[in-house]
Amino acid sequence: MLLQLNNIFKWVNSGGQRIFLLKDINLDVEEGEFISVMGPSGSGKSTLLNVIGMLDTFDEGEYNFLHECVHTLKEKHRANLYKEYIGFVFQSYHLLDDLTVQENLEMPLLYKKFKGSERKAMVADMLDRFNIVGKKDLFPVQLSGGQQQLVGVARALIANPKLILADEPTGNLNSQQSEEIMQLFKKLNEEDGVTIIQVTHSEKNAAYGSRIINLLDGRKV
Amino acid sequence: MLKNHIKISLRNLWKNKTLSLLNLVGLSIGVASVLTLLFSVYAYYTADNPIPNKENIVYLKTILEDGNDYREAPYPLLDKVVNTSPDVIAGTHLHGWGNIWLEHGEKEFQHRTDYAEPEFFEVFELPLKYGNQETALKEKYSIILTEKVSRQIFGDTNPVGKTLIGADTLNLKITGVFEPISPYSSFRLGVVLPNTLLKDNPTFIKQTDWSNSFSPVYFKLRPDANRANLKTLINQLVQENYSDPSLIAGLEVMPFTEMRTDIIPVVDTIIGGSIAASFFVLLIILVNLLNLNSSTMLRRTKDIAVRKVLGSSKKNVVVQFCIENGILVFVSIIISLVLFLLVNLPRLNNTFGAEFGRISFDLTKDYPVIVGIVVVGVLATLMVGILPTLRFIKVPVSLGIKGKMNQIKNNFLLRNSFIILQFTIAILFISIAVILNQQIGFMKNADLGFERHHVLVGNIDLDYKDLDAAKSKFNALINDLEANPYVQSVATSEGVPSDYYFNYTTYSDLETKTDVRFRRSYADDGYFEALEVPIAMGRNFDRNRDNLKEYPVIINEAGMKAFGWTSIEGKRLKFKVSDDEGHPIVGVIKDFHYQDLQNAVEPLVHIYRDKSALNRHRFLSVKVVEGQEQQISNMITAAFNGISSRRGYEQLQLNDKVSAQYQLIDGILKSVNVTAIITIFISCLGMFGLISFLAKRKVKEIGIRKVLGAGVAKIVVLLSKDYIILVGIAAIIAFPIAWYAMNVWLGTFAYSISISWWMFAVAGLIAFCITAFTLGLQAVKSAMANPVKSLRTE
Repeated sequence: MLLQLNNIFKWVNSGGQRIFLLKDINLDVEEGEFISVMGPSGSGKSTLLNVIGMLDTFDEGEYNFLHECVHTLKEKHRANLYKEYIGFVFQSYHLLDDLTVQENLEMPLLYKKFKGSERKAMVADMLDRFNIVGKKDLFPVQLSGGQQQLVGVARALIANPKLILADEPTGNLNSQQSEEIMQLFKKLNEEDGVTIIQVTHSEKNAAYGSRIINLLDGRKV
Repeated sequence: MLKNHIKISLRNLWKNKTLSLLNLVGLSIGVASVLTLLFSVYAYYTADNPIPNKENIVYLKTILEDGNDYREAPYPLLDKVVNTSPDVIAGTHLHGWGNIWLEHGEKEFQHRTDYAEPEFFEVFELPLKYGNQETALKEKYSIILTEKVSRQIFGDTNPVGKTLIGADTLNLKITGVFEPISPYSSFRLGVVLPNTLLKDNPTFIKQTDWSNSFSPVYFKLRPDANRANLKTLINQLVQENYSDPSLIAGLEVMPFTEMRTDIIPVVDTIIGGSIAASFFVLLIILVNLLNLNSSTMLRRTKDIAVRKVLGSSKKNVVVQFCIENGILVFVSIIISLVLFLLVNLPRLNNTFGAEFGRISFDLTKDYPVIVGIVVVGVLATLMVGILPTLRFIKVPVSLGIKGKMNQIKNNFLLRNSFIILQFTIAILFISIAVILNQQIGFMKNADLGFERHHVLVGNIDLDYKDLDAAKSKFNALINDLEANPYVQSVATSEGVPSDYYFNYTTYSDLETKTDVRFRRSYADDGYFEALEVPIAMGRNFDRNRDNLKEYPVIINEAGMKAFGWTSIEGKRLKFKVSDDEGHPIVGVIKDFHYQDLQNAVEPLVHIYRDKSALNRHRFLSVKVVEGQEQQISNMITAAFNGISSRRGYEQLQLNDKVSAQYQLIDGILKSVNVTAIITIFISCLGMFGLISFLAKRKVKEIGIRKVLGAGVAKIVVLLSKDYIILVGIAAIIAFPIAWYAMNVWLGTFAYSISISWWMFAVAGLIAFCITAFTLGLQAVKSAMANPVKSLRTE
């Protein structure tokens, strides 16, 4: 078992009313799964992903990640946990604009205090694997959307995470580019055993996954 | 990691070129002015450091009945005090007696000359670069040079043991050279000679009685001395020995450490003002950096969030910001050092040098200033790096990553108080500058009661080598001038307005028993004519009617009023202590401003002395027909070129000479102007940053409003309104403070303008215009933006 969500609630208070963003979510994820989260806008997909990624808190319920009780951990430990095991891929890539491709890839390693020589080796390996060696000194704005997302995936993978969380990774891409990214995810999942949870609107993309979770108004349906 | 931080910092700074440049310019100018102010304050406070135990040194101050005072006391008092007081370790005079001409080889020099007792070094212990304190003033024919004089004559060599010829006849052996003395020190020395040398001089001997006060007196006291006892003892000695003790109110024992402010009282204002100004400028710089940093933060919330997702800790983010700001701060410190050394220091010296002497920067001695500014730089970096980051780092990652920051508490109030503070300071300085400008303009253009235009003034105390020859040539020149149709009148006198000796005598009206202290000068029959000072009563001097031996005088109206006279009929100006007949008073002149307008017109008497007394008058004043100044000036200069003298003849327009009185206050005005410009400039930089911040926050609102039909003007008003109100609040705070401060200061001027509302209106308008311009730049840009673009990005 990689992670387990038990009776997760998340709400905000607005105008004296409690609005539920997540309502009684129960979810078990095994290692090696490829899960697609689907649902209409505002159904709580991204919120769920943020809760799983520990970027956001929840108000009620239990969350166990690799047998650690996330809901009881302090923020610092939580940060260490996701730093160690989770990689994020975003719809709008969120590459650091001021850094080159190479430096963007290096950034997570810097925060994990890898040595200089190790970092170089890992970055070179990743560039090679994604076929972007020729782009290593370019800045994000000089790349196409597909290429940027490629770098985003590479960055998420570089520190060998157990889990990849992808929030509409193909939302800003054309069909050919999204095809490529989805193939990549599939390959990672099947060949390297990386667990992937993706949020998507597209039935076609959802079909790449082994399991589909549907959300509506914060509830699993 | 560090390398990475620096790399990213540089990229960030480069990316926001405009903002970085604004920041850098503001910082550099600000820090350079802080550096300049701090350095002059530091130079002032450390100037007397070479004098050990200076807290045990005192000087005497004579207080007169009318509250006036001077730092001189009768000569014999020193020995009496040293011999009778148990509190005094040693005492010395330090006084001039004419500056002595010194000869070395072919060259002649004249420097400020002071005479002192051999005990001088027991009192002051001023360190010597060469020579021995014990013996330096023991020998009668010895001389001590200051480092500056020694360098001028002998270069870098040790001159001790060499001989200078003094006053053509004396063989003076050099017995010492002082260590360099700061120009801001209490001491203004050139050369120092033992006063035993003067004991041969009959005129000097005659003056050293109990009725003449011409020498400052200094004592070194025991550390446990009772100063009250000393004062009582000294005033007892006054009662016992003064020929007329009632002439003075008493003697005061003053600490030496207060002497500088006692001599030039405005020093306190300058030093206090410098400290306040540097504090305020520093404050503005900091606030400004904070504002500008906050303004870049919006763009960075996303950046920070992404970094956090990638595993960055808060510390990493803070360090990144500190390094980024540190680079800015320290680059600007380096730029400001260059500015300080190449621009500010020379300007400071030009502005205040004439009054206080030129100071120079010496790293071995003045390193604390640099250390201080670096410490300030580090603290500033930490502050501006940490404070804004703390606000933004709290944004939850899930929000931050979308570039949203709605959840941040809106501490607009805090930022507003910063803006109000900045603009209060800026408007304060602008108000002060406006008022001071008015006051100086008033002083320079006021009706001074005499004609200062088309009057040439030259100095004629030139140390003539052959006085008789000089006199005959001078008389010929006077005759030529008087015959010249372009010359309206010719005058010789001891003083001219702005340059009267501080020479006072008390006269008495025996009938009414009134004593009046007159400032005294000498003038000939052309003086009041040349200056066009109107005669109120009686007549002008007349070379055919006035007898030089009777010393006829003309007094001013202030003097007449002080006696309570309504006419001068049958009055004479009599000395208080003397059976002498006194001076016949031939006339009364209208009051004119013979000194600057910071001082009131006091009783003034001119004693008649005709033009033949070349060596006893100091000035030649010639009133010339307008337009003919150059021709007459050339004629006089040519005549003086034919007279051999040690000093050269120099000539000025009287107007320039009178205006030069305000050099110091002009300097203060310049400093205030510069500070005002710097504070408003830096404040506007910060304002510029903040409004771009606001514009970015409201980019969607602006877009929607434009879609709904709002015009550019409406948007500009929307963006700038709040800030204009803030500047208004700042003005409301600043005006009363400026009004109070300037009222107090103008109170120290005998003649001052009254502060009126329009001066504040001008100050406010200046601040408003500059602010509106700054705001407008950004606001118009935002308002003109295409709403389709801004709405799409949301």
